[in-house]
Amino acid sequence: MIQKKICMLGGFAVGKTSLVRRFVSNVFSDQYQTTIGVTVEKKCVTVASQEIMMVLWDLYGEDEFQHVRDLYLRGSSGYIVVMDGTRKDTLQTALALQQTAANTVGPVPFVSIINKADMRSEWEIDEHVIEQLRDRSWTVLFGSAKLGQGVDELFLNLATQMVQRPPLSNTHP
Amino acid sequence: MSSDSGRSLPNSPTSEGFTSREEDWTQLRTLLLAPEQTQLDELRERLDHRMVHSQEVSQVLPEAIAIRGVGDQQLSNALTPYVENGFIAAVRKSPRAIVDAIAPIMGPAIRQAIARALQSMTQSLNRSLDESLSIRGLRWRLEAWRTGRPFAEVVLVHTLRYRVEQVFLIHRETGLLLHHVATDAAVVQDQHVISGMLTAIQDYVRDSFGASPDQTLDQVEVGEWTVWIEQGSQAYLACVIRGTPPASLREDVHDALAHIHALHANALADFAGDATPFKATQPYLESCLLAHYERPPKQGALKGWILIGLIVLGVVWWGWMAYQAQSRWSHLLDRLREEPGIVITQARSMWGDYHIEGLRDPLAKAPTALVIEAGLNPATVKMEWAPFYALDAPLVLARAQSILRPPESVQFHIEGGILVATGSASPDWAREAKRLAVLVPGISQYRDDGLVTASISALLDRINRTVIHFPSGSSTVEPSERVALDTVAAILRELDQLVSQSSQRVHLEVLGWTDATGPPARNLQLSQERAEAVVAVLREKRLDKAATVVLGSVRPLDQGGSNQESANQRVATLRATLTAQGQDSQTADP
Ligand SMILES: Nc1nc2c(ncn2[C@@H]2O[C@H](COP(=O)(O)OP(=O)(O)OP(=O)(O)O)[C@@H](O)[C@H]2O)c(=O)[nH]1
Ligand SMILES: [Mg+2]
Repeated sequence: MIQKKICMLGGFAVGKTSLVRRFVSNVFSDQYQTTIGVTVEKKCVTVASQEIMMVLWDLYGEDEFQHVRDLYLRGSSGYIVVMDGTRKDTLQTALALQQTAANTVGPVPFVSIINKADMRSEWEIDEHVIEQLRDRSWTVLFGSAKLGQGVDELFLNLATQMVQRPPLSNTHP
Repeated sequence: MSSDSGRSLPNSPTSEGFTSREEDWTQLRTLLLAPEQTQLDELRERLDHRMVHSQEVSQVLPEAIAIRGVGDQQLSNALTPYVENGFIAAVRKSPRAIVDAIAPIMGPAIRQAIARALQSMTQSLNRSLDESLSIRGLRWRLEAWRTGRPFAEVVLVHTLRYRVEQVFLIHRETGLLLHHVATDAAVVQDQHVISGMLTAIQDYVRDSFGASPDQTLDQVEVGEWTVWIEQGSQAYLACVIRGTPPASLREDVHDALAHIHALHANALADFAGDATPFKATQPYLESCLLAHYERPPKQGALKGWILIGLIVLGVVWWGWMAYQAQSRWSHLLDRLREEPGIVITQARSMWGDYHIEGLRDPLAKAPTALVIEAGLNPATVKMEWAPFYALDAPLVLARAQSILRPPESVQFHIEGGILVATGSASPDWAREAKRLAVLVPGISQYRDDGLVTASISALLDRINRTVIHFPSGSSTVEPSERVALDTVAAILRELDQLVSQSSQRVHLEVLGWTDATGPPARNLQLSQERAEAVVAVLREKRLDKAATVVLGSVRPLDQGGSNQESANQRVATLRATLTAQGQDSQTADP
């Protein structure tokens, strides 16, 4: 069993906490309780016959007052960038955060998700933009923490990437 | 420099004009100074190539040090700082080698420390069992019962100064758990999440207060727990401590962390999520699981025992008193039940208060007297008696006495519901008694066959008619005459009774008589003697107290006549009269 630190990144209220809670405890709440600082959760998964303990750092969401500090990102073996399909501005935040993460932890695997797929009709993020992200070689998934769609796939996708990558790539200056 | 000039020699003749003159000078110098030059070169060689020199020194160095060392301390003084510095440098450079070297010494020491900690824990557990018997123990039991916590935990909270319950070894950069130990008693939540949170908290605090990386969070307090964080370069230790740890514990934690860093430097540097290698840190983490328990003051225990002793004494005393009161109470009930004229219908005792209800003949013995006799305080015994007539013989008798008021000369006794009166009484009383007796509760019949009834005058008359005969010339009362005197005595007694109510007394005169024969002087004397003899007999019957007896002497009856007549004159006669009291002394003296 190996342990991996994984950070949840994204703008405020995009559904980071909801995704983690859906993944770890399979629960969802409509009530919005903003995360202050960090909440750590844990779940063990097995990919490619390798047991991984995913230690999930659910960070507070970035907004104009609070920028996510690289401090929390240190030592991550991977990260998840969350966007809210109904809010176009969360895409910009995601791009900025991914940049910060790449600068801090280096080229570790990451997956991005556009959340709230259950409200697809209200989405502001269109296919064109998503294509642009994929061109930057982002993994872009769709999902809904509310319905539980694409949640397990999201985390397992990242876990698989982390296992496949040779361990040396995790050691960085 | 010198080697440059040496090398320039063969190159010099190549170009310039005055080369030949230079050559000559050199040749001349060589010729003149060749031996000196060789020596000079040799010396230079020596100076330049120290190795040669060192080789020689090395041959004498050990001896030199030995000789100097014997002489004085200067050599070791001079060397000490260098040796020290050298050692520090060596530790910095390869701590592992040093630790490897000293581990065999440290290992047993650490094991000993752990053993001691365990020992003290067992002792304190044993003590918690002892505690359960002391006053304090009882108080804690009460607290455990009240708060619903286990007794052992309550004891722990009260006696524990501190106890390190969990130790986390956490990778600093990732916040991932490297290893974790806990005492058996500790409640361990998800240690992986905790280690992540502990790391996140530190980051958060640093982020929020803008602290520099070397300013670290050392302590977190959560309820009765304190979390101590000891920072290391690659990993940090978090100790979850219950109670108030001493500052010296920091050093122990610090040492443990330093050892771990030294032993696992490579594993720490290469850590990529696999915590397996850090299982080996177990003994170091366990060495931090220290605890200290408070020793209860001895004196307190003594005080507790004295208190218990007093309580036991008190209980025993109370029990003894209760037992005594109880036995007094049952004794009182027995006595009351035995007592004629008292019937108990209800009796109960409550906390030293007693209550009796029943029936009581007004003539029965006063129950309060029995209460006092039984040793109980009459104030604590409440009694309610309903009056009734008892049929017990003594009570019926007493009742008859109180209703019929018989004179002293009358005796009553009961024969199976029949009241029997004996003795003598006035006809008036006898008649009244006969009428009332059957009305007395408990008496079915009245018998007074044995009761003599007579009026005072009749009795006086009977006395006065009594004549005691004497033989001729004798003053001795013949046995045949005594019967008459017995009757007199009885009548006198009766009279005495009868008159006792009035302020009268029976006055009795005894008169002696003689016949005419014989000289008158002798006759006078004889008559006197005869009267005295009668008085003496009456006195024998103890009538001196019952009646006043007056001795009378008279002249012989001045009567001539027959023998028969003279026999009639050899007598003593009695004259009983009633007198007012207080005249006895006058009449007593003739
Ligand atoms: N309809 C819908 N609502 C969602 C979904 N996921 C999250 N939400 C709602 O979005 C709100 C924010 O969710 P959170 O999970 O708290 O968001 P967050 O990113 O953790 O927010 P911060 O901690 O403040 O950064 C909540 O009211 C959720 O109920 C989803 O998939 N569909
Ligand atoms: Mg949140």
